[in-house]
Amino acid sequence: MLTQSKEIRHELVSLGSGAHALAIQIMGNSDDAADAVHDALTTVLERPQAYAAEKGALKPWFLRLVRNRCIDLLRRRRPADLPADELTDAGPGPEKAAEIADRDRVLKLALAAISPDQRQIVVLRDYMDLSYGEIAEVLDVAPGTVMSRLHRSRVALAVAYRKYDD
Amino acid sequence: MTEERRIDEHVGELLSGFVDGELTQQEQQRVQLHCENCKACDSSLHEIRALREKIGRSQLSALGQDEWRETMSDTAVKKSYGIGWLLILGGAVLAGAAGLYEVFTEPTTLTQVEKLIIGGLYGGMLLLFVSVLRQRLIERKTDKYKDVEI
Repeated sequence: MLTQSKEIRHELVSLGSGAHALAIQIMGNSDDAADAVHDALTTVLERPQAYAAEKGALKPWFLRLVRNRCIDLLRRRRPADLPADELTDAGPGPEKAAEIADRDRVLKLALAAISPDQRQIVVLRDYMDLSYGEIAEVLDVAPGTVMSRLHRSRVALAVAYRKYDD
Repeated sequence: MTEERRIDEHVGELLSGFVDGELTQQEQQRVQLHCENCKACDSSLHEIRALREKIGRSQLSALGQDEWRETMSDTAVKKSYGIGWLLILGGAVLAGAAGLYEVFTEPTTLTQVEKLIIGGLYGGMLLLFVSVLRQRLIERKTDKYKDVEI
C-alpha cells in the first residue's frame, strides 16, 4: 500500500508539468492553471483510494481530474477573453524567458487563435504524447472521434501558424 | 477553395493517424501511396509533422518536477497540520467531558459552590466555542474574498 502510494506520488510529480500545460490551455494563464493542478493533487493525496488502478492508467485519470477542476474554476470565475501571451509559460528569469518567448512567439499566437477544445487535444497529443485511447479518456469523448477532432484542430492550428509566421 | 479545405481533402484525417502511428497497416499503405502521388497531401503531412515537433519542443509550462514535488510536500504538510489540530481538539473535548462527568457524578470533596464555578467555566468555554464557530460559518458563506489566496 505504502509502495503503491509512493509510486503514485512519483508519477504525479512527473505529470505535474504536462498537467499544468493542459490547464493553461483551458484557464488561459499560468497562475490559475497551477491552482487547478494543485487542487487536483490535493484531491488525489487526500483520497488516493479515488483512483482505482484496475480501471486504467493514472495519467489519463489525473489529467481528466485536472481538466474537470479547470472547468469548475472557469464556471465560478467567468474569465475575460484569453490573452494570447499567456498560453505558454516562459517562467522566471528575464533572459531565458525572452529567449523562450521569442522561440514560441508564433506558436503562442497560433494557439490563441484556435478554440480551447482544439488547444487541449493538440497539447494532449503533441506535447504530452498521449495515445488516442488516453485522449478519449481525458476529454470524455468516443475513441473513434479522436482522430478526426485532432486532425481538424491541427489543420486549424496550421492555418493560424502560417498566418502569423508570414 | 479555402486554405482549410485544401489541406483537409484527399486522405484527410488519416494524415494525422499516420503521423501518430495510429493506423492499421492497410491504412498506412493507403496514405503512403496517396502522398507519393499527391503534392497537397504530402505537403500537409510535412506541415503536421513540423508543427508536432514545434509543439513538442515548446515550453508550455515552466514548472518542473522540483516545483511539483514541493507543492505535493506542501499539500502533505497542510493535511497533517489539519489532522493534528483535529486530534488535539477531539482530545481536549473528550478530556473536558470526562472531567465534567466525574465532577458531577462521582463522590468528590468539592462543595456545591466549587461545582458551580467549574460548571460556569465549562459553560463559558462552550458558549465561546459555539459563538466563534457560528461566526466563522457565517463568514464562510458570505465572504466575497474567500477564494483569494494570500
